[in-house]
Amino acid sequence: MTKYILWRLAGSVPLVLGIATIIFFLVNLAPGDPTLLLLSPGMNQEVVEQMRANFGLDQPVYIRYVKWLGAMLTGDFGYSFSHSRPVLEVIKGVLPNTLILSAFALVIAFVTGIVLGTIQAVRQYSLMDSTMSVVLLFFYSMPSFWLALMLILSLSLYARNVWDWPIWFPASGMTGVDHEFLSFAGRIQDRVMHLVLPTLSLSLVLTAGIARYMRASMLEVVRQDFVRTAHAKGLPERVVVFKHALRNALIPIITLVGLYIPVLFSGTVFIEMIFAWPGMGRTLFDAIFQRDYPVVMAGTFFFALMVVTANLVADVLYAVVDPRIRYE
Amino acid sequence: MKKLFVSTVVFVLAGCGGGDGAVVSNEPFCQAVLPAVDAFMARARAENPVPDDPRYGGTAVVGSIGELADGMNAAVSSDATSTQHQQFVNLMTLLDYDENAVPRPYLAESWDISDDNTSITFHLRRDVRWHDGEQTDAHDVAFTYVTVTNPLTAFPNSAFWDHYVKGAEGVEVIDDFTVRIHLRPHAEFLDPFRTLAILPEHLLGDVPPEQLKQHPYGTQCPVGNGPFVFVSHSAQDRWVFQANPAFPAGLGGRPYLDRYVYRIIPEQTTLLTELLTENIDVYVAPAPDQAQRIVDDPRTTLMRYPYRQYVFVGWNARRPQLADPRVRMAITMGTDRGRIVQALLQGYGTVANSGVPPFHWAFDEELSGSVTYDPTAARALLETAGWSDRDGDGIRENADGLPLSFSVKYNNGNQSRQDVAEIMQAQLVDIGIDARPQVVEWATLLQQINTPDLRDFDGVVMGWVVEYKLDDMDLFHSARIDQPYAWSGTSNPEIDRLLERLNSTTDRDEAITLWREYQQLVIAEQPYTFFYFPDRLDGVNVRLKGVVMDTRGDWLNIREWYLDPASR
Repeated sequence: MTKYILWRLAGSVPLVLGIATIIFFLVNLAPGDPTLLLLSPGMNQEVVEQMRANFGLDQPVYIRYVKWLGAMLTGDFGYSFSHSRPVLEVIKGVLPNTLILSAFALVIAFVTGIVLGTIQAVRQYSLMDSTMSVVLLFFYSMPSFWLALMLILSLSLYARNVWDWPIWFPASGMTGVDHEFLSFAGRIQDRVMHLVLPTLSLSLVLTAGIARYMRASMLEVVRQDFVRTAHAKGLPERVVVFKHALRNALIPIITLVGLYIPVLFSGTVFIEMIFAWPGMGRTLFDAIFQRDYPVVMAGTFFFALMVVTANLVADVLYAVVDPRIRYE
Repeated sequence: MKKLFVSTVVFVLAGCGGGDGAVVSNEPFCQAVLPAVDAFMARARAENPVPDDPRYGGTAVVGSIGELADGMNAAVSSDATSTQHQQFVNLMTLLDYDENAVPRPYLAESWDISDDNTSITFHLRRDVRWHDGEQTDAHDVAFTYVTVTNPLTAFPNSAFWDHYVKGAEGVEVIDDFTVRIHLRPHAEFLDPFRTLAILPEHLLGDVPPEQLKQHPYGTQCPVGNGPFVFVSHSAQDRWVFQANPAFPAGLGGRPYLDRYVYRIIPEQTTLLTELLTENIDVYVAPAPDQAQRIVDDPRTTLMRYPYRQYVFVGWNARRPQLADPRVRMAITMGTDRGRIVQALLQGYGTVANSGVPPFHWAFDEELSGSVTYDPTAARALLETAGWSDRDGDGIRENADGLPLSFSVKYNNGNQSRQDVAEIMQAQLVDIGIDARPQVVEWATLLQQINTPDLRDFDGVVMGWVVEYKLDDMDLFHSARIDQPYAWSGTSNPEIDRLLERLNSTTDRDEAITLWREYQQLVIAEQPYTFFYFPDRLDGVNVRLKGVVMDTRGDWLNIREWYLDPASR
């Protein structure tokens, strides 16, 4: 097992470097450069050249590549053009925010997806099963940015101003403007309130997908002999479902974790824009349009790293939960 | 195991992440200056107790779509919202404008202009301190001037200094509170000092000019001297400022608000929701189709004023089908710009015929109506110019068989510019012109139109924000035809002559006549189809009182904003 993990880790080094290299050339060879965006009338050519030199863009792209690669291997990701700070500082400020958001969305999506899928499988073809299928399909086919806007309109604007609900959720940001003056419990409440809408928008779509997988996987398991045996020896339904069937049905779902992490990260780009969440996706998105090469490079590098790691973890977990699977 | 998970969640929620506000940069520069600011503020608060007036106190929140990209570093700033924060919030300019755009004292108590208009002597206030307690004096002004006129700094508005004596020769420190700046006589020469905020020499004097843009001063720990003191900035999220108790009593003393928060919310629907649910007090520049919601809601009012901006389609006259001014005139006459203002801007705007905005003293009411929608006249003009539909396909050709067909580029993500291009296409088909809208990503578009030996476009939908000192040299003077902004490729000796005279004319009455003449030439030349001057809109919660916003800016009197005591 250890050997397998080490082998996979070694294999991911060229993978991540390859991704980074492709991104580097894609980004640097795209038309336009950051100085163009800072231009304004009256600025003469020397000023533009000066800015380029200040950014280190006066050198040919292959020299920049070698320099960038060398610096990156020593942990130096350079200086952001648009944030005027070291790239690592920029990423350190936003990456945790994205991780908080995606971790909550992931946990909620999997917990609810597994629960709903199980219920559907156990009550196959019942009215509840069909209703849930329709509702889940509705969310599954909905683009998450549209869902996000609808949630803002209903659970924030209408809940507060039209329907007079006792509870409504703030439409943007991670914390309220008075956050630092709140008590400890108040801060936690403030954070949770701000998390609700973005987490919901991000996880509902995933939940729907997971529930479908879970239903199918569970249906397959409940037809197997060992489940029939469990029933036959008189175990209560609850024990059969949760102790015997569920555990086995969960195995294929674990692969979904690895599969869904990239989906989740790309989803955060939209969600972070709409909810003004100061996260990595938004930073990366802005950096692409501002041709902030160092941030784009570092950002994609970290995302690639996380996706590769998540896949590795999923594969390892797979072996952990299913004793039949052995990696050599 | 379960307990551990729960406590981890609580820890994550309470502890880390950028939204806490209190983000202290670990840059050595910030570590050194911030304690000094805290100490001076504590002393200033003790010395200047809050006056007994219910208007003092509270936090006002402004929400806007973009980050203050350049922060408070006035030497490298090109972004309009950042500049306003330097002018009105965190720093001070030498002078500002009253409601009639007449200069009035601010950091400079008074100034003398030499009789031959070759030098300005500023006499500074003696009671302005940087937020770390240091005196603001003439050395700061001289340092700022030398820095922004140094090409190594790459100060974006370098046209400001075209007629100034640049560098150390251009500025003399007479005494600690008197500073003289040298220039060649030219029009509206005080205008740059309205927007250029003075920077602290004692903090930035040692920084090499080419490294100023990367310096932590700008976005991580600015130390200003204005009415609001920097507290914290978390990128893409918010800037927090607090009242400066040491702000000179002669300028109104400490502002009413305790705190001012600028929040970055990139999505307009979210911004509107936040305004209507009273999470933000000001929504900067709502879309025109959101304005009615703000007007209708009893919680909010809509501010509306003429803005220093115009939207146009620039024509590349190097293209054979667009080389003839008559063709460009026919395009303008064949486009119903009035209807576009009604439909796109919901009436929040004015049709433009030149780059002189309606609020400006050089604006000419008569000229503004000189080109109107007239498809019949446009068709006749095209016939005279030799363009008629020779092969019956509905599109005109010239004698060589070249069809009157071109693309109109616009940048993605900008709905109003896309609408302009599409409405234009629909209307020009009626007069036999084939205009094809084409979307291009912003940085790519800039490269295509700005690169002098590329100019890969026929028409392009763009906008300019102008200063009070209007200057079209970069746009239409033939000497700058190889510079990035000569999109139209205009080369007209009469226009050249007038642009030069306008730049050197200091007398306003004389200038008005010249501007009139110049605008007539531009209208005849049609280098652009000028579309409209959009009005600037701001949604404001009614609990925020005392707000004045006009062409000078959205934040211009933030010192006097206060929250209705009953609603705090």
